[in-house]
Amino acid sequence: MSDNRDPFRLNRRRFLKGSALATGALALPQFAFADGHTKKPSELIVRAWGGAWGESLQAGVADPFTEATGIPVRLDFTEDNEIKPKIWAAVDQGRVPPIHVNWDTTTNATISALRGVTVDLGDLKGLDGLLSIAKPTGIDGWPLVNTYSYVYVCAYRPEAFPDGPPESWRVMLDPKFKGRVALYDDGIGFNPIAVIAGGGSMSDIPDNMEPGYQFYRDLKENEPLLGEDADFTTWFQNGEIDIACTISVNARAAKQKGINVEWTVPKEGCKVDTDGLWIPKGLPANEEYWSKRFIEFAITREAQEKWCSLLGLPPVYPGLEPPADLAGDPAYPTAPADFEKLVSVPSPVLVENQPIWFSKFSEIMQG
Amino acid sequence: MVEIRDVSKAFGDVLAVDDASLALPKGEFLTILGPSGCGKTTLLRMIAGFIRPNAGEILINGAAVDNVPPYRRSIGMVFQRLALFPHMTAAQNVAYPLKMRGFDPVTIPDRVSEYLRLVRLDGFEKRRPQELSGGQQQRVAIARALSFSPDLLLLDEPLSALDKKLREEMQLEFRRIQQELGVTTINVTHDQREALVMSDQIVVMSEGRIQQSDSPEAVYRAPSNRFVANFIGLTAMFKGAVEVSGDGGILVRVGDTALKARAQGELGNGTAVDCALRAEQVRILDDPANGDATAFENVVTGEVRQRIFEGDRMVYEISVPALADAVLFAFDHDPLHHAEHRPQSQVKLGWNARDFFAFPSDRT
Amino acid sequence: MAETAAGGKPLSWRLIDGVDRLVAAAWPRGLHGMNGYLFLLPAVALVFILVIGLGYMVEFSLHELDLATYRLKEAYSLTNYQTFFERPVYIRVLWRSLLAAAIVTLITLVLAFPYAYLMVRTTSAATRKFLLVALFLPFFIGQVVRAYGWLIILGKEGLLNSIVTGIGLPPLDLIYNYPAVILGLVQYMLPFAVLLLTPAVAAIGEDIELASESLGATWIGTFRHVVIPMAKPGIIGAGIVVFTLTLTDFAMPEILGGGTSDFIANAIYDSYFQISNIGLGSALSIVLTLVGSALVALMLMIAGTGTLGFAERKS
Repeated sequence: MSDNRDPFRLNRRRFLKGSALATGALALPQFAFADGHTKKPSELIVRAWGGAWGESLQAGVADPFTEATGIPVRLDFTEDNEIKPKIWAAVDQGRVPPIHVNWDTTTNATISALRGVTVDLGDLKGLDGLLSIAKPTGIDGWPLVNTYSYVYVCAYRPEAFPDGPPESWRVMLDPKFKGRVALYDDGIGFNPIAVIAGGGSMSDIPDNMEPGYQFYRDLKENEPLLGEDADFTTWFQNGEIDIACTISVNARAAKQKGINVEWTVPKEGCKVDTDGLWIPKGLPANEEYWSKRFIEFAITREAQEKWCSLLGLPPVYPGLEPPADLAGDPAYPTAPADFEKLVSVPSPVLVENQPIWFSKFSEIMQG
Repeated sequence: MVEIRDVSKAFGDVLAVDDASLALPKGEFLTILGPSGCGKTTLLRMIAGFIRPNAGEILINGAAVDNVPPYRRSIGMVFQRLALFPHMTAAQNVAYPLKMRGFDPVTIPDRVSEYLRLVRLDGFEKRRPQELSGGQQQRVAIARALSFSPDLLLLDEPLSALDKKLREEMQLEFRRIQQELGVTTINVTHDQREALVMSDQIVVMSEGRIQQSDSPEAVYRAPSNRFVANFIGLTAMFKGAVEVSGDGGILVRVGDTALKARAQGELGNGTAVDCALRAEQVRILDDPANGDATAFENVVTGEVRQRIFEGDRMVYEISVPALADAVLFAFDHDPLHHAEHRPQSQVKLGWNARDFFAFPSDRT
Repeated sequence: MAETAAGGKPLSWRLIDGVDRLVAAAWPRGLHGMNGYLFLLPAVALVFILVIGLGYMVEFSLHELDLATYRLKEAYSLTNYQTFFERPVYIRVLWRSLLAAAIVTLITLVLAFPYAYLMVRTTSAATRKFLLVALFLPFFIGQVVRAYGWLIILGKEGLLNSIVTGIGLPPLDLIYNYPAVILGLVQYMLPFAVLLLTPAVAAIGEDIELASESLGATWIGTFRHVVIPMAKPGIIGAGIVVFTLTLTDFAMPEILGGGTSDFIANAIYDSYFQISNIGLGSALSIVLTLVGSALVALMLMIAGTGTLGFAERKS
């Protein structure tokens, strides 16, 4: 496939790794034009989420990048939670990590950054022009770049809500919806909302989560279904659920497939969060170099516009118009007024508390 | 006690038992004798109730048992492979039918020891079948089949797997126990010696049909057809034709020779017959101890083709030109002291008409 | 002998001769009696690797996770085990797994035994062939695919519910609950149990059953007193396999449980991957291993030492 195929690639890889270690972190790729530091790899492997997510990355970033550089991009759909320990183990043992670029939630990416397995991206071109949310918080430098924000909306089946969209998340507790409510299987995206819906406020997070836990306990009585991104679309499609807390992308994908699904931001608000891209340590210098070029490309206007409009999410590149179907949608925050209706938890708080919230969530739900 | 009336059983196209009838008085020992595949086991299993006949009926104690399941029939059975329960001790095996048949639990231990004593296995109560010898296993099997005092005991070739010596020992043992208890017994075997030794009555079967039903002596001395004559003993069979038919005695022409024979059935002049002559009825007249030629009604000369030393006797295979090269068998019971007849040597043979059967030849 | 005819020996003989010469050259003479044991080496190596893995897990389980670096702390501590005992969720999930293992084992054995029995005893070749095919077909379909098959059949708009609603009844909640997980597991385990029971049933001569019947036992009595006790080694073996496979199952509760019927394996997965706590995950794995092994040992003890054919005296 690639014109860069080299029968001695393995040897070269090993050699390059040694030389990269020797020159150390100061060996900036820009100054290494002449030798193997910029040699194009036969492919770049980018871990991604499947379904509508993977398709948008392929069409919005991967394909144009290949067109521009000649480097094929392969998407690896290993689960984000499963790739993480593999990368960690590879870095610990000095092996080459299994992927070049990881597309990850900001919280998980930050955890990997704390673990010290991420490459600093501060030297990427174009970082300066991005919205401020592109820069990770609570950690030094640029171990990752946030690429868009997204909202965990309240998705619902209009047929089950003849009087209009649900106004409050508390509708989930209505016995009418017993067995027909769905959340993520670790409760992600709902933790702060549960606190507010349970009678608490933002100031209770993270020190007094009890109102949220109480809400979970009440919800448990209603036998919620717990799943992952793909499950929500299937469940809506098969009529298994009436209401769910899921990322707007999934609801929009279901809607675009012709499934009758709408979404709303109830009065308690919705959690807003970001995803980002990062590069694991331990790659051969030329592969790391081109991985950085990939992320650099992903934050250009061109890529951001296409990728994010396919996802239906607000990009970190400023000044882009929302897709027609999402203009004025509360799940596509652009104006400050939009953000006021949403709940954002600072990354450091999430990193420190999310594992605790997950445990508590499963403790209650597995009862 | 047991009566079988016109019973038939077919498996697919194969007629395993064809219109069989027999009757067995109480306390007698009957053996169904025949080669493998003759239908004897099928007949036995119909009596046991494992197989239902297509036609006819079976009566036990005067009552038809057609709709009585095996476990309600008062029948003890010893199987070919014994079918002892390997997970139970000898005593537990013997107690099994007592428990299943609802005997008073208080009486069971006594009964078990009584029957183990009967089969001379006292002291082996705690052994499991795999810890017992072949003969001991036989004894457990028979004790188990008898402990509940069944009306009828069925033996499905239980001795066939034993070596000769043990088999002969067990034959006598089975007979002893049967007579001691007076239990009506039906045995199935392909071993003619076993049948002759043990039975009050023998039923010879072949190809699903009962060929003869008689006392052991009668079956031996007066076979009712060529199959029975051929099956029991070492028998020479050859063809001939009736020349002169008279009261009891007839003359049969075989090759160039006319022989005096005993007619089994109506035989007119000229009838084609099968002749049967048992080895032990033939005397080799060259041996002085066997008497002289005048003592025998039929005397011929033949040539020794083969001799087989069996230890207690010598078996000769002798071809007789005057009988159209028919091959006869003869025994010499004292081979070490008497003259040995080497192959190719000429010998004179004699036998009497009452031991020489002529059957109507129904097959070519 | 064949050796006199040069080149006349079958290829397999020559191959074995070669191997023998090789072994003779590489091995001290005195040890030739041990040659057969060489074949055990791969199995021993596998077990050894497993033990090493278990050793690592024990080590990991003794360190607490440091949330500042997401690495295990240097110091040894029993924090992870403490977590197991303090958080009711883990006891609950373990209990749920154990209960499921017991229920699934029971139901599977009850269903598998007649199946194996019929397969052995049927006189019709067509029936036996059908039963065999029906048994092996699911083996070619993975557990995950089968779980999704159940979703199609039992879902709110699935096959069964379309019949139920077709006759005017309200749809039933058939999936995403504990009974659905049990159902999926029973279906998954059935072939294993049948395969393990079949040789045990086949070893019981038909004469034994006829004997029992002629001795006065009804078929129920024969089953209770003869067939079941004689098949005990197979039943115990199948029971242990089904029990341990169920106890450690992941996919069925994950897919058919709707997220709220997790087994201990799902909790281990979540610890390793969802909250990146390798220490806690290892501690849970060790607990599962210990509980599982203890129960299997208990089963073997209750069933008797001779159960699996060991220590059985043969004449």
